[in-house]
Amino acid sequence: MTSGDDAPVIEVVGLHKRYGDVLAVDGISFEVRRGEIFGLLGPNGAGKTTTVEILEGLRRPDNGTVHVLGVNAAHAPEQVKQRIGVQLQTAALYPFLTVTEVLELFRSFYARSRPTEWLVEAVDLGERRHAQTRQLSGGQRQRLSVALALVNEPELVFLDEPTTGMDPQARRSLWDLVLRLRSEGTSVLLTTHYMEEAEQLCDRVAVMDHGHVLELGTVQELVTRRFRERAVHFDTLPGLDLAELGRLPQVKRAVVEDGETVLYTSDVAATIGALLARTETLGRDPENLGIRRATLEDVFLDLTGHALRE
Amino acid sequence: MSAFLTLTAANIRSFVRDRTALFWTFAFPVIFILLFGAIFSGGGTPSYNVGWVDQDGSAASALLRNGFAGVPLLKLKDGSLSASLDAMRKGSLNGVVVVPKGYGAAVAAARGSPAAAAGAGAAATTGSSTAGPGTVPLDVYTDPSQQTSSATIRQVVAQVVSTTNLALLGGRPILATVDRSLQTQDLSNAAFLVPGILGMALMQLGVFGAVPLVAQREKLILKRLGATPLPRWTLVGSNVVLRLLIGIGQAVLILGIGVAVFGVTVLGALWLMVATVVLGALTFISIGYVVASFARTEDAANGIVQVIQFPMMFLSGVFFPIEIMPSLLRPVAAVLPLTYLGDALRQVMVGGSPYAPLPLDLGILAAWFVVCLAISARFFRWE
Repeated sequence: MTSGDDAPVIEVVGLHKRYGDVLAVDGISFEVRRGEIFGLLGPNGAGKTTTVEILEGLRRPDNGTVHVLGVNAAHAPEQVKQRIGVQLQTAALYPFLTVTEVLELFRSFYARSRPTEWLVEAVDLGERRHAQTRQLSGGQRQRLSVALALVNEPELVFLDEPTTGMDPQARRSLWDLVLRLRSEGTSVLLTTHYMEEAEQLCDRVAVMDHGHVLELGTVQELVTRRFRERAVHFDTLPGLDLAELGRLPQVKRAVVEDGETVLYTSDVAATIGALLARTETLGRDPENLGIRRATLEDVFLDLTGHALRE
Repeated sequence: MSAFLTLTAANIRSFVRDRTALFWTFAFPVIFILLFGAIFSGGGTPSYNVGWVDQDGSAASALLRNGFAGVPLLKLKDGSLSASLDAMRKGSLNGVVVVPKGYGAAVAAARGSPAAAAGAGAAATTGSSTAGPGTVPLDVYTDPSQQTSSATIRQVVAQVVSTTNLALLGGRPILATVDRSLQTQDLSNAAFLVPGILGMALMQLGVFGAVPLVAQREKLILKRLGATPLPRWTLVGSNVVLRLLIGIGQAVLILGIGVAVFGVTVLGALWLMVATVVLGALTFISIGYVVASFARTEDAANGIVQVIQFPMMFLSGVFFPIEIMPSLLRPVAAVLPLTYLGDALRQVMVGGSPYAPLPLDLGILAAWFVVCLAISARFFRWE
């Protein structure tokens, strides 16, 4: 193999991809290290899907180089496909085949494969193994698609919003599975709409928008890089405008979001003191007043102007 | 290779488990063949219900009735004149024949004086409605709005009358007709129909293949399979093998019904039949791929397929020979591939007069196949 143990599993340098007039990916570069869970975040149309599809060998880049597991994905996509696992959000593949039949079918596509039983158990589909896939619920179908990504015992797995449509319990159990894969040395590239998922799972994340990588690092790094401040939040009070709140002591920024006013401050005590003094003149107390650290959601909103779920 | 076999087995399993698709794939051609077989050839020759009104009631009139009853085309229903005409108005009778009172007496008289009866015989054979002296008027009611039945009944009655006249006069026939057939189109309707229906089934099998293909692309199934190391030729090849197997199954079924139900005799060589079925199936499968190359949605594919298959079904000589089509439509038939598949199958399976020489049929099918293959290789999209 061309890749050593500490060589990155994904190496993207100056990647460009254009569809007609639309520049979907505009010169991005990043690396995914062996054994890490890497999150790719961004609003719809940010270029995530295009990037992932180039990495999976499904599309060719216009410019730049993409190495996956040390192999140039544009030159030898078949070699890459043999060693990676891909989970896509698809409707039922082969609706008339059973869970085990679909898994057996996919096993026949690869040079090496995991036992069907292992796969069935890994995604908790043991009780449904003889059900035809058209009879599965949305969440079960989603779990089958994850199992299909693991069939060939891949060194690197691509998960495309893997927990969409799952109930909280199924989501937890999938997170456990992803963490277990990492502990066994599998690298994971994950796209997600759930901030909590990225915070729980990802060793590092990249935030993309308009074909660019805007930020890259651990969740903690991203948050502290943007927000040294803490967030003081309370239910928005009529009679307090944002401009005025922005002038309170140590407040760097004030925003309103879903009926909640958020003040980013470098001195929580000074800001809260001034806020309470001001609200007293209105004869009202701020409801649901609280303090928190900035989250990935705040970073995302700040970077892209969209909430992560949009 | 193991992936190819597993994939093909999976495709076959999926097809067999999809009961609705399975049913229509095999039931549709069977329904067609039974239906059209029955319409065009079934039930043998038609027969007509004719009211028989005997106002004479003599031995001679009973003898005359026997003469009519011996004609297989007619079914006689006895009744009074008013009742019979009433039944004819209501549509349960196609015609009414009335034997007038005095017929027996006239027969007896004719036997006594041959000369008088000779004049009567001449008048009757010309079919004239004016009864000459000594003749007995035989009223024949028919419905001019029903051209076939009225013409047939008149003809049959005239024939029986002339035979009866001749017999009564004691003459011997000088001319007699002998049925001989010259082999121009020796096929029974069923023998003509069976290869045509098989061609139609293969055409639909191939062209309709576009719909699931586009659906699989729309649902990203093709994309998911494209993310595996499975070579694309394996995917396409396995799909084509499935359709070929279905096509051969349809051929066996349709031919079996032709032989068992309609007594069609199969004379072609087996290998040539299989080769023609396979070439025909491949041609239409490639047309299906062309449709799938340009249709973006499942609905669009369905629409395009209907536009292609419906005219082809009726303009390619599946149900009736192209020679009897309006001359305006014949050039259309001349370019449709189903014309040549139907013709080739007909020649290979049951013989009959060809529309085109067999090598030309097969050549044109092969040309369609190659062109469609090239177009789909260029334009087919996996996502």
